[in-house]
Amino acid sequence: MSEVRLQVQNLSKSFGITRAVRDVSFNINKGEVHALIGENGSGKSTLTNMLCGIHTIDSGKFILDGKEVHPKNQVEANNEGISIIVQELGTLDGLTVAENIFLGHEDMFVKNGIKNTNAMNRKANELLQQYGFERIKAQNQIDDYNFEDRKLVEIVKATYFHPKIVVIDETTTALSQEGREELYKHMNRIREEGNTVIFISHDLPEILDKSDTITVLRDGVYIDTVKSADMTEDDLKKLMVGREVTGAYYRADYGTPISDEVVLSVKNVTVPGLIEDVSFDLHQGEILGFGGLSESGMHEIGKAVFGASYDRQGTVTLANGTQINDIPTAIKNSIAYTSKDRDNESIVINQSIGDNIVLPSLGELSNKFGLLSDKKLKTFADKFAAQMSVKMQNVGQFVSDLSGGNKQKVVLARWIGKDSNIVVLDSPTRGIDIKVKQDIYQLMDHMRQNGKSIIMISEELMELIGMCDRIIIMKDGKLNGELLRSEEMDENLLISKMV
Amino acid sequence: MANNTKTLSKKEEMAKAARMNTLRMLLPIIGLVAILILFNVLTNGGMWNSRSLILSQVYVLMISSMGVFFIMTMGGLDFSQGSIMGIASIVVCYLSQYNIILAIFGGMAAGALIGAFNGFFYVNRKIKSFIVTICSMFLFRGFIKYLTSESPIAASMKVYDYDTTAVKMTCTVIILVIGFIVFRYTKFGMHLKAIGAGEKAAMFAGIRTDRMKFLIYVLAGAITGFAAFINIVKNGSATANVGNQLETQILIALVLGGMPISGGAKVRFMNVVVGSLLYVVLKNGLTMMGLTPQAMQLIQGIIFLIFVAVFADRQSLKVIK
Repeated sequence: MSEVRLQVQNLSKSFGITRAVRDVSFNINKGEVHALIGENGSGKSTLTNMLCGIHTIDSGKFILDGKEVHPKNQVEANNEGISIIVQELGTLDGLTVAENIFLGHEDMFVKNGIKNTNAMNRKANELLQQYGFERIKAQNQIDDYNFEDRKLVEIVKATYFHPKIVVIDETTTALSQEGREELYKHMNRIREEGNTVIFISHDLPEILDKSDTITVLRDGVYIDTVKSADMTEDDLKKLMVGREVTGAYYRADYGTPISDEVVLSVKNVTVPGLIEDVSFDLHQGEILGFGGLSESGMHEIGKAVFGASYDRQGTVTLANGTQINDIPTAIKNSIAYTSKDRDNESIVINQSIGDNIVLPSLGELSNKFGLLSDKKLKTFADKFAAQMSVKMQNVGQFVSDLSGGNKQKVVLARWIGKDSNIVVLDSPTRGIDIKVKQDIYQLMDHMRQNGKSIIMISEELMELIGMCDRIIIMKDGKLNGELLRSEEMDENLLISKMV
Repeated sequence: MANNTKTLSKKEEMAKAARMNTLRMLLPIIGLVAILILFNVLTNGGMWNSRSLILSQVYVLMISSMGVFFIMTMGGLDFSQGSIMGIASIVVCYLSQYNIILAIFGGMAAGALIGAFNGFFYVNRKIKSFIVTICSMFLFRGFIKYLTSESPIAASMKVYDYDTTAVKMTCTVIILVIGFIVFRYTKFGMHLKAIGAGEKAAMFAGIRTDRMKFLIYVLAGAITGFAAFINIVKNGSATANVGNQLETQILIALVLGGMPISGGAKVRFMNVVVGSLLYVVLKNGLTMMGLTPQAMQLIQGIIFLIFVAVFADRQSLKVIK
């Protein structure tokens, strides 16, 4: 029996009325890779963020090697022997590589109040060499390096002081295969040194392959801790969702012909710094997918089509010759858009569900004197909220209280109410649980069958493969290949075009 | 079990939030009634006897508050209202020599122009609204001082024909009713609230937010320009101090009326009416109690602070534009 490193005891955390973590208790041992899994919003990141001092603890405690730890920020966490590598970029622009590695720990190199930059660079270069990252130079600006290399710098930053616990929070999704291998190597090294890795990932095969122990969370509640060796992917899914995932998830048809009718044509669209000379056609009744790394420019495609890009060149033209250059024109011509940044761009967050649903349809709901009636607005909002089965008390409730999935349903209800013919969905299932995801996939399939055309932009390759008639892969702002729907398509093919 | 406690606490939270909202909505009305009773008792009914004098101070404030109410609904601020009032009053005085109708429209045009000036720098140059309007407050106050440096500008004697409660009251009521219908029952009002509650999302829902923001400043200027006519009808001339501190009075009135300072979905048109009445009653009551102007400023400051502290929606305070 291995020794316990970290005891999590009765831990709870709420954000407003959302109880993100509820009375969670479990143990993590020394010398293991301990995976934390659960659907989005299950509380994994909240839990590790509390451990690392990013969030405060509401109640409960962490006991590290028999001693309660209560870090107030990441530097204090580091001093306790805890570090974290996050999904997003965790390095700071405008600083050198060495300054990034020793951020918050500059005191090591300070003598009489003066920082010895040479000593810092020397030490950093030594570390980079030990890790086998010689091509990165400590004295250079971090801005000179690409995303992958910056992630490698973060690995050094988080592990050079041999912390007792390293949290790796969904880091691998952002990395190429090479970068992943690099990360796995260091996870192994940490384990062999007798320290612990807490590993968060959505990729179940990766979890089964790389971790020793797996703890499952669901809706902020602790479900179980299991040995990876005893588990299959389906077992894990069942634990995560709490029931067997049955019925159609993605659409089931293959070989459906794509209509020849072009509904929207994008020609030579460039948005400085984001996308370059992009051209494609959208056909009636098809789901056209865009995949790529987050920075590939694919998210800007949606904005460009919706007329929301700043400083766009090139043309977006409808079948009837109408040019789309601004949002009101796009909406008037039956184009809908849901943003990846749901809380800021898709939904008016400090407003009621009802007001959000009626917002783009107010013109049609006004009478001939331009007046609106409360009753008519409520009927409209009720109808489409019900159609999307939004979980709520009534349409007067504010959307800020809703979960991510329900917010997305409100956004979709708005556009279904508008009966849009071209629907641009950017990351439609981001941060949404499996049940609502399934609803959204079904809705998309239904819309497609009714002749609506959909552009789906997503970082989740499985949903692109499962839903799209065509997938366009983007890389560095340009189109980098197109794939047609087929049963044989797998993620690796897409990844090879993305990186 | 865990699930049960969750739904219960969620319900409780929501009930609490609902109670808080009702309180926020009712507090200004309760406050108005309470101070009306209080001052009437303290002055032995003296306040009731001078009601027409008190009412005559309400019109200008109430009309110009409505424009600022629109601005604040979409999350902006306007500190230049006093100077708008000043310039528009001077224009009304000049033009009243020729024609009263011309004077009314001239005053509104002058106000609208200053509003357009504010709107241009706020929208096109992307400067925060309170900075822009503080600048125009000083700028146009300078013009006013310059124009009135020799002597106050007198209006035509004809304006006194309109100095009746019936005219002033009718004008105020008409303006307010139009404002209420437009705010409450048209696309315009819904769009305004949406901008205040989340500007970027409002833009992505197809609202031309920049155009809207610009137009609201123009509109608020024009409304205050109209209020300037009522002001001249009452005073007969424009001095160097015409409209001085109107912006502060408006701000205090709206906040007293329960307006959330960050605007958005929780604003009520009632805020304008109740707030202006509350402010004027409070001010007159304190004067009748024999307070010096200095002491009154002090008390106004304290009351303002208390109300902002009570009504501030701290979550959305950072969105004041």
